[in-house]
Parts: sequence; structure tokens; C-alpha cells
Amino acid sequence: MTGSARLTISNLNKAFAAPVLIGVNLKIARGEVHAIVGENGAGKSTLVNILAGNLRKDGGEISLDGNIYEPQGPRDAYTAGIACAAQELSSIETLSVAENIALRALPQKNFVIDRGALNANALKLMQRVGLQNIDPTSSTEALSLADRQLLEFAKAISFDCQLLILDEPTAALTAPQADHLHSIIADLAAAGKSIIYISHRLDDVLDVADNVSVLRDGELVVTTAAKQTSVSDLVEEMTGRNQITSTARRDYVSDAGVVLDVTCLTTNDLPHPIDLTFKSGEIVGLAGLAGAGRSELLSALFGLVPLTGGTVKRMNNGAAHVVLNAGQAVRNGIAYLGEDRQSMGLFPGQSLLTNMMVPGSADIRTLQCIDHKRERDAGTKLVEKLTIRCQNLTQDIRQLSGGNQQKALIARWLHRDSDILLLDEPTRGVDVGTKNAIYDLLISLRQKGKTIIMASSEIDELTTVCDRILVLSDRKLVRSFERNDFSEQDILTAAFSEFTASVENQSTSDSRVASPLR
Amino acid sequence: MNIWRLMRRNAEDNFIVASLILLILFFGFSSDNFFSVITLTTILNQLPALTFVTVGMTLVLIVAGIDLSVGSVMGFCAAVVGVAAVAWGLPLWMACLMGLGTGLLCGAVNGLLVAYFSLPSFIVTLGMLEMARGLAYVTTGSQTMYIGSQIQSLALPLPGIGVSAALISAIVLVITAQFVLTRTVLGRYLVAIGSNEHAARMSGIDPRPYRLMVLAVSGALAGIAGIFNAAYLGSADPNAGIGLELSAIAAAVIGGTSLMGGRGSIIGAFTGVLIIAVLQNGLAQIGVSEPTKRLITGAVIIIAVVIDRWRAKHASSS
Repeated sequence: MTGSARLTISNLNKAFAAPVLIGVNLKIARGEVHAIVGENGAGKSTLVNILAGNLRKDGGEISLDGNIYEPQGPRDAYTAGIACAAQELSSIETLSVAENIALRALPQKNFVIDRGALNANALKLMQRVGLQNIDPTSSTEALSLADRQLLEFAKAISFDCQLLILDEPTAALTAPQADHLHSIIADLAAAGKSIIYISHRLDDVLDVADNVSVLRDGELVVTTAAKQTSVSDLVEEMTGRNQITSTARRDYVSDAGVVLDVTCLTTNDLPHPIDLTFKSGEIVGLAGLAGAGRSELLSALFGLVPLTGGTVKRMNNGAAHVVLNAGQAVRNGIAYLGEDRQSMGLFPGQSLLTNMMVPGSADIRTLQCIDHKRERDAGTKLVEKLTIRCQNLTQDIRQLSGGNQQKALIARWLHRDSDILLLDEPTRGVDVGTKNAIYDLLISLRQKGKTIIMASSEIDELTTVCDRILVLSDRKLVRSFERNDFSEQDILTAAFSEFTASVENQSTSDSRVASPLR
Repeated sequence: MNIWRLMRRNAEDNFIVASLILLILFFGFSSDNFFSVITLTTILNQLPALTFVTVGMTLVLIVAGIDLSVGSVMGFCAAVVGVAAVAWGLPLWMACLMGLGTGLLCGAVNGLLVAYFSLPSFIVTLGMLEMARGLAYVTTGSQTMYIGSQIQSLALPLPGIGVSAALISAIVLVITAQFVLTRTVLGRYLVAIGSNEHAARMSGIDPRPYRLMVLAVSGALAGIAGIFNAAYLGSADPNAGIGLELSAIAAAVIGGTSLMGGRGSIIGAFTGVLIIAVLQNGLAQIGVSEPTKRLITGAVIIIAVVIDRWRAKHASSS
């Protein structure tokens, strides 16, 4: 299955705020299925986006069949013969299934769309990918997630491409569907196409790929033949780092009172019942791959999504309050910081002070009006306490660095004197120095008896800060680690466990919907 | 089986057409002379200008834009036709061509700013609304200019056919635009861009030329509306088309076009035009006062959107 090189990437670099791809070298032959694996944020999607023409590279060289390839947009990728089925589904809901598949090149006769050819071609492709039960003229709106994923695949193979990029193509599929997709991939490879295959399902990867490359923190650490490696080897290559200097910790008080009691919790996104208790003065980490259900669990605890079963009880001085919605959660001293700071927390264009004081608690009000002097005093205190770096309180929040924005959001909830902090990716997009400052802040809050529940895709961050780590895999709570048996590799293995196991289990649970595609 | 499927696919259009028929029947029975030649000609005469503007508006709405300038551009184009024909003494066809060109130019300016300078169409066309109205007053000296009977022939029923050239061209436009929207690559691209611009771009469609084109077309159609308005009045009125953009948006929305883009039907919008025209005249016939007429028309627009939302929700849940 080897031949001359189709795609050669040398010394590819890309940085946003921080470097995302560092000196990546990659060679893919004709007829080769090349898998790329790595933890969340390792740079896989960035690499795909550069090849697909959605992002420009900062440096390095890409050549395709010996010609320099520098796409200015998705159209260039298409003309160069690169097809891409992206991770986020991009079907256009108001067009029919057939129109979606052929959107790049709708067949026409005398300037009029040739419906006969359009639907016949679409049907052929749909039969090939396993969508034969769907009417090509029906609207895309009604399709299930799995069907949309197959549609995306059909769209990618709808034209005669040379390089096919598949980013998590089986995330929403059942095992038989995924097997079928893999057999098509094998056919395409046999026909001389090159395929880049990205997946969390390492078993699938070893099954379908000829070679596997591992990305770690933007660097391509190893490329091996799939036959010569194993799931555990890959996991080891994907981790294998420890940069964060553990900050000073004090002993964990294990006899503290329970503050949050979760029994048999289920939601639409979390079908398997979850039982948990959280104590005051502990930091609990939620680990798992993208789509494992970390964010879903946090938002369920905060009452943002309706529970389909079980209860969340806030225990406070012997009294128990059931948390049904976000309003009750806030009144009971629970705070929540969403994954996406920009859309879920910040008020861009407003001052740092306004951003911190938005909930407007009673102590800054005089006769129901906001007392600007008291507001400023409270703001100044918070800025000092959390060491927020800013010019002054009236500075536009957008001018602050990511880490300081995050601190301002934490300040918002501290000001309301919240006892339980639910943090989703609290250090995303933050540089290492500020990360350590946030860790210190979290630990100092813990010393004051606050409970912190944080979800993070960076396992080393969790092992540094947390007292306990809960691992979710494929929307199931699979394991709990106490501080003295933290092991990055065990945690990652647990995080992969349901994804790898699900290949065997899936045929019995066809109804599963993968959340990475939400 | 096939008919059932066809009906279900066009359920939205069917529903509006049914509402229109109900409305006509209602006015027919509650007024003595609704089914009269005079009423009918009054309604038909109102149609062409609004139809042209509404078709343009619907296309703009489908790509998730809006064109607030159509009423003013129409007034400005009518003014240009008047000045060219009367003050400059140009032949009528040339005056009309200048009117059309003026509309196209206004629309192209809108489109250029929206598509290539990434400005919101709401703001750009709001600016154009003021500018075109100002220009209409400047060109006519704020006076209504009498053009003459020659131009009126466009709006008068053609001998032997019984309908005016204006109405025929409006109907031809509706059919053509519907065809383009549903049966050509261009039409499908407009829907794709309005529905999910990111996905469209990932499929290699550059949205900019399409946005430019749609706004330019909307301006040109407003220009034609200006010509027909001048023909209807026999003169160029610088106040022509005040508030017309709102009627056009209303007609499009009643016809099932989404203000969020990606969804719309020209036939539906035309039915919306008919509903508004029938409502206006029917209510006048049964002796409803002007303020009440406006109240009812407003309520109909809101009810249409509420029903549309409800139906969309219902359809997606089933």
C-alpha cells in the first residue's frame, strides 16, 4: 500500500495566542490511510483546517503530488483535489439531501439544475455510504445525527479527490455503520486515494490505518506503522509530559461536610445514572475526552439542563435544597463558569468593574440603586485579592488577557460569596504563567472551605490541582481516582475505555448519540 | 401518493393560498361590490410596483440580508424618469432605461458596501433610504412632475387582453424568480448562503458576489417599480414609495420567508402581496376606517409569523 508521496508537510508552524503546531513533518503516500491521534488540543483540528484551506499556515511547506500547495480558501483545496469531512457537521438544513451532497458542483443542463442527474447521483452515493433508506429529495432538517455524519462523508467522496480528510467520521455512528465506512475507506485507498483519518477510537484507528502519527502539544512525536503499535503504546505517546510545577498544597481534610449530593442523575446527554457527593474544601476534577460528557455534567449540576432522573441536593448547615434550575443554584451559593468565556460569560465592551459586578448583590446597593462608590471599593478589593492585572477598573474587559478575564469571572462569583464553583476549562487559552496563578487561586479558595468542581481536557492540570479526579468516558462516569493514586496514564486509559469498548458494545446500544458533534 | 407528497412539500405555500382564498370569499360575501370590475382593477393596479419590490426583498431576505431602501429608490427612479422625459425631453424608452439604471446603481452601491466592506445591510440600506429620498426631492425640486399620457399606456389594460403590461411583467417576474430560486444553481447557492454561510463557504462558495448581486437586483427591481409607479400616476411623484419597504417585508414574511435567511418562496411572497392588496381594498369596501385598517393589517402580519413559527416547530418535532 505504499507509493510515491502524495502529501508532504515539512516544518509546518501555526500559532494563535500560543503555538498550536510546531515544526510538523508528515509524509503520506498514494493509497495510504494515515491516522492522526492526540489528546484534545494537540493540534489535530488545526492541521485539518490548514489542509482544508480554512486557516493559513504561519510557516513551513506543504506540497501535494510534488506541487507547492498554499490554499487561500476552501475552494483551492477542492480544486487541488482535497476533500474534507469536518468534525463539525456542515449540512445546510433548508436544502435537500441531494443538494447538500452535490453543493460544490450541482449538475445543470441549460442553466437549470438537472434534478434527474442530481438525485440519481446522490442516490448512488447514498447507497454506497448506507443512506439508502432516505429520500434524496427530502430536507436535511429531519436527518438524525448519524445520518448527517454519513451525509458529510458522502459529500466528501462525491467528487474524485486525491486526498480525503476525515475528522472524527464515526463519532455519531453505530458499530455496523462505522465498519461499513471503514470498508469504503479501504476501497478508496485501494483505488490510490490517500486518506487522513482522525479519531478518538484508537481500536478503529489501528484497524483502518496503515500508519499512525501522534500529535502532542502541537508536535508530531512519532509516526509508526499501525501493525507495530498498540492502543496502550499510543496512549503513552499521547501523554508523556509533565510541565506544570506542582504548587504548594496543604493536606486534604477528608472529614469535611458534604455540600452537594447527587443521586442517580441522568439527563438527555448523560444516559447512565451518576451518584456523587462533594465535600467542602475539596477540588474535584472531571477528566475525559471531548464529548465524554464533562461539560454536560457540570451544566446538569448547575440546573442548566433538565434532569431526566435523579436529584441534585445542596446541603447547607444540615438543610437540603433540591437544585432544579440555575436560579436556585445561584441562590444556594453555586457558581458556574462556562467553557466558552467569550459567549458564556463576558460582556464585551463593558468595563472590568461592570463585568465583575453584574449580579449586583445587595452590598453594593443603596436604596436599590447601585452605589458607585461601594461598587468601586468592592471591585478594587477583588482585583487585589485575585491579582487581576489591569490598568484600572474602567478598562474594557476585552483588553485584558485571557487569564485575567477568567479571574474577573471568578471574581464575579466570589463577590456573591458562592461556596461551590463549577468551572469548565478554567485555563483554556491561558498562558502557563497565568495558569499557575489560577491554580494558586483555586487552591487558596479550597483552603477557605470552598468546593471547586472543574472540568479540564488537560490531565496534568487536574493531577496538579485536584484532590479527586472523576473520569468520564462516552458519557458514562467510569472511574474515580484519589490523590495518592493519580496516574496520568491510568486516567487517560480510563478516558478511552468506553470509546474502545464501545466498538463491541455498540451493536446493542444503537441509540447512542455522540456529543462531540453537538 | 405523489400528489400528497407534492402537497406536503408545498404545505407552506398551500396554506397561504388557502388563506388568500378565504379572505377573498369573506370580502365577497360581506360586501356587495367586492366582486366588481372596479374593485378588481383597483387591486390589480396596485400590484405591479409592490410585486417588483417584494421579489427583490425576498431574494435579499433569503441570503439573510435586508433592503430598507427599496421605497426611496423607487421614488428616486420615478423622479429620474420624470426629469429625463420632461425636463430633458428624452424619448420615453430612454427615460425608463435611465430609471432602471438608477435603481441598479443604488442597489449595486448597497451591495458593494455590504458584501465587500462587511457592513450590515440594515445600516447600509437605511442610509440609502435617506439618500435616495433626498435625491428624489432634489431631482424633482420637490414637485410632482406630470409626464403625460404616453407613459400611462404601460399601466392601462392592453386591448384584447384586459390586463396591463405592468401586471404581465410582474407575473412573468414572479414565475422567473421562483424558477431561478428553486431550479438553478444560483438559486440554491442563495439558499445555502442564507441558511449556513460557514457551510456554504466550506463548500467553496464565495458569498460576496452573491450578496452584491442580490442587492443590485433588488435596486434594479425597485427601479422598474418606479417606472410602473410613474406610469400608474402619469407623473413622477418624489413621495412615491414611502413606507413601501415595510409592505414588501410584510408580504415576504406573510409568504413564509424567514428574516433569518435561508428560507423563502417567491410565489409565497407574491401571495403575500395579494393578501395585503385584498385586505386593504376589502376592508375599505366593507367600510372599515383607515386607522382600523392599519390595525388589522398589522395584526395579520404578526399572526402570519406566529402561525409560521408554530408550524415550523410542529414540523420539526414530528
